[in-house]
Amino acid sequence: MNGWLHQLEITLRLHFRNKMALLYGYLFPLIFLVAFWVLYRHERVPLARHMGELLTVTALGGACFGLPTAMVSERERGVWRRYRLAPVSTHSLVAGTVAARYIALVTAGLLQVALAMAVGMPAPRHPFDLWVAFTFVSFAFLGLGLVMAMMADNVPAVQALGQCIFLPMLIIGGIAVPLASLPEWAQHVSAFFPGRYAVEALQASVTGNGLGSARFDLLALVLVGASGCAAAGGMFRWDSQQRFAARGGKAWLALALGGWAAVGLIAESRGRIGAGDRAVPADQAIVRQPPAAAPTNAPANPLPATSAPPVTAPPAVTTPPVMTTPPTVTPGAPRVTTPPSRTAPSPETGKPAAPEPAAPVPDLPPTSEPRPTPADKPAAPEPRGPSSWQAVTPADIERDLVFDRLPSDQGVVTPIAPADEDPDPEVAEDLEFVRQSLPNWGPGKVADPVQRVRNYLYVAAVPDVFQIPVERHMAHVVYERLQEDIPKDQLIQILYWIALHPNGGDDSALDQVWALRLGNGPSDAEQTRERAAFYAVKLLGRLTGKIVPR
Amino acid sequence: MPAKVVVRDLRKRYGEVEAARGVSFEIQDSEIFGLLGPNGSGKTTTVECVIGLREPDGGDIEVCGIDARRRPHDVKQKIGAALQTTALQDKITPREALTLFGAFYRDSEAPQAMLDRFALTAKADAPFDTLSGGQRQRLALALAFVNKPELVFLDEPTSGLDPQSRRELRAEVAKMKRDGHTVLLTTHDIDEAEELCDRIAIIDQGRIIAAGAPHDLVARSAATQSVSLVTSEPLDPALLSGLPGVEELTGDGTRIRFRTSNAGACVAELMTLLEREHTALVELEVRKATLEDVFIGLTGTSLRE
Repeated sequence: MNGWLHQLEITLRLHFRNKMALLYGYLFPLIFLVAFWVLYRHERVPLARHMGELLTVTALGGACFGLPTAMVSERERGVWRRYRLAPVSTHSLVAGTVAARYIALVTAGLLQVALAMAVGMPAPRHPFDLWVAFTFVSFAFLGLGLVMAMMADNVPAVQALGQCIFLPMLIIGGIAVPLASLPEWAQHVSAFFPGRYAVEALQASVTGNGLGSARFDLLALVLVGASGCAAAGGMFRWDSQQRFAARGGKAWLALALGGWAAVGLIAESRGRIGAGDRAVPADQAIVRQPPAAAPTNAPANPLPATSAPPVTAPPAVTTPPVMTTPPTVTPGAPRVTTPPSRTAPSPETGKPAAPEPAAPVPDLPPTSEPRPTPADKPAAPEPRGPSSWQAVTPADIERDLVFDRLPSDQGVVTPIAPADEDPDPEVAEDLEFVRQSLPNWGPGKVADPVQRVRNYLYVAAVPDVFQIPVERHMAHVVYERLQEDIPKDQLIQILYWIALHPNGGDDSALDQVWALRLGNGPSDAEQTRERAAFYAVKLLGRLTGKIVPR
Repeated sequence: MPAKVVVRDLRKRYGEVEAARGVSFEIQDSEIFGLLGPNGSGKTTTVECVIGLREPDGGDIEVCGIDARRRPHDVKQKIGAALQTTALQDKITPREALTLFGAFYRDSEAPQAMLDRFALTAKADAPFDTLSGGQRQRLALALAFVNKPELVFLDEPTSGLDPQSRRELRAEVAKMKRDGHTVLLTTHDIDEAEELCDRIAIIDQGRIIAAGAPHDLVARSAATQSVSLVTSEPLDPALLSGLPGVEELTGDGTRIRFRTSNAGACVAELMTLLEREHTALVELEVRKATLEDVFIGLTGTSLRE
């Protein structure tokens, strides 16, 4: 133990004497932070939404470049040969080295958080969770760094190996590029990288609901870290003359890769692939779920939420008789129906969608390929509940909706800025344009009030999907417009209806958001519908007093 | 008293290369034992197997009465070693290095005592990368002694050092001898082995081909003496080919060299020949066989190649 502590102390001392280590370990993360701060200067709460990414890059750099570079360099010099002459175990020496690196990572992370707070970021919501998450992230990446140290024969090889892991993880691994911005195939690939789990766990601690919603992320990080440590132990070498290519024991590498593969496969099997609120799927976040053992033909008359587990599935929703395709819903969700084509009748009313308004509509820009619809989703039990939006009662809302599992307003998904927060001038100008344009916006004039509300919600959902600067404020503009246009009682009923039927109605309004200077609309209409459903519940909560914004 | 080190039939192979092919030797208490051989002869492999840096393919190793293959950690408590390729981190200081390595052992010397003993006090807090070659080698020796070892292994300790540092290190090893330490020293420097070692073993191609005290090895060998002379006038070397026992005859005008197994008769006839040729002898040197001559005689190769 005495030797272990001395080695830990000396390793730390040497780390802090190494100018290059300080440059890469401390200065670079701070430069990254300042760069993010400048890039996202429009954000009123600077950096809070990016701390997961920033801390992950810090841990990744220190663990996957710093650790193996130091170990390989010492091995090349013969330091580890000298250690081997001493009566001390390999595990003890490696543990001392890794512990020293962990301390260095924590200090670098603390410095980063401190600087972020100095420029205005509020304190992390769950500081203890953040430390726990950072420890798990460090463990995962240090395990990976040890594997690299055993594979690389020299320091240049560490750099080459590191880049092979670092760059893909940054670009398609969910670290530097948000998962929501990645194509679907890349989101699947990212499930096999530990980076996305690191970002999720850290971000959940900084702006989210803490690690309670990131248990899978922690499991993934432990799996990756443990498999890396075990593989590195099997491949350990003291001497630079023991070349990796000429040594036995390379099968241990399969264990490290197996850890990554296991994490990815588990994520795939659990459906934790896509972007968005990964910890709490949209339908589970806003709609109460049935008891696990509840039979599918459970009584339609639900019990009060305060006395018994609420029943989710509302009664079957009336399917428009003219529809030729069978109604379908997302598995496990009470979603209903096939989103019709742009000319399909509104499922909310069963009538054809209202004609486009007479208001002047400029020439439409070319639209992209038809958006994928959830029409081909496998069938699931029909939801129960009111038969029409007009039949919605406060009891339905009380019974079917949950408001405390929504994505945080300060989070990545469906953010809403505090009401007293003034947007930056450029953002304010864009918002004012939308505010002025909405009364004359065609989709805001359709006769069907449900479709009209749905269209307005898309105006908030599209900037969220695109992550454009106005996203955090757009919900306020939409909220104002909805209150101006729809009587409160009806608005409450319609928002409930949309929350339970996110795939209802049509999404042709997405092709007209360009008139509000919001681009051509996302190609993934399903994701936009999901975000609109989130906003429906968030605004409903504000309207009914269920949600009191801080 | 039992031997400090007993090595029997040690074998180690690296792929196709058999670096140790049945190496056997013993080192007695308070003995400076030299393992002499050219580069690639297997001496470093032998030492690394004995001190636990490499796992031998076969053979028995006993160090300080302990089975080194079964209980390597116990052996490491009792030995110290200065390796040929050891280096430390650039920014570690001698004091820190001695403190760190001392902490790995059950019993250790105080760092300051080691700094004083190995003349490193002035550089105690200097980073390793600012130390000279001699200072680094002295630090390596200090580290080898930090655990009060019963047995010290020095793997080519003077290799690559300047003459001054080499003299200092030899003086240090000589002091170990006076202090009664048991030392295994590997070297390819014959003078060093002859000067420092009580006994040496010559190793070549993974085998011990001779062992004993340096003077005994020379006395036992059939090595010839070397003769070199300088004459006042150029002399045809062929004239000397008929002298008794002459071999390896070379000449360059007035300077001639040869080896002979019968120096006395050879020099007597050489004088007669020079007188007959009316040539004066300017310089004459007859040198006895050296350890290097013994080595060349045994292996057919020079240690200095």
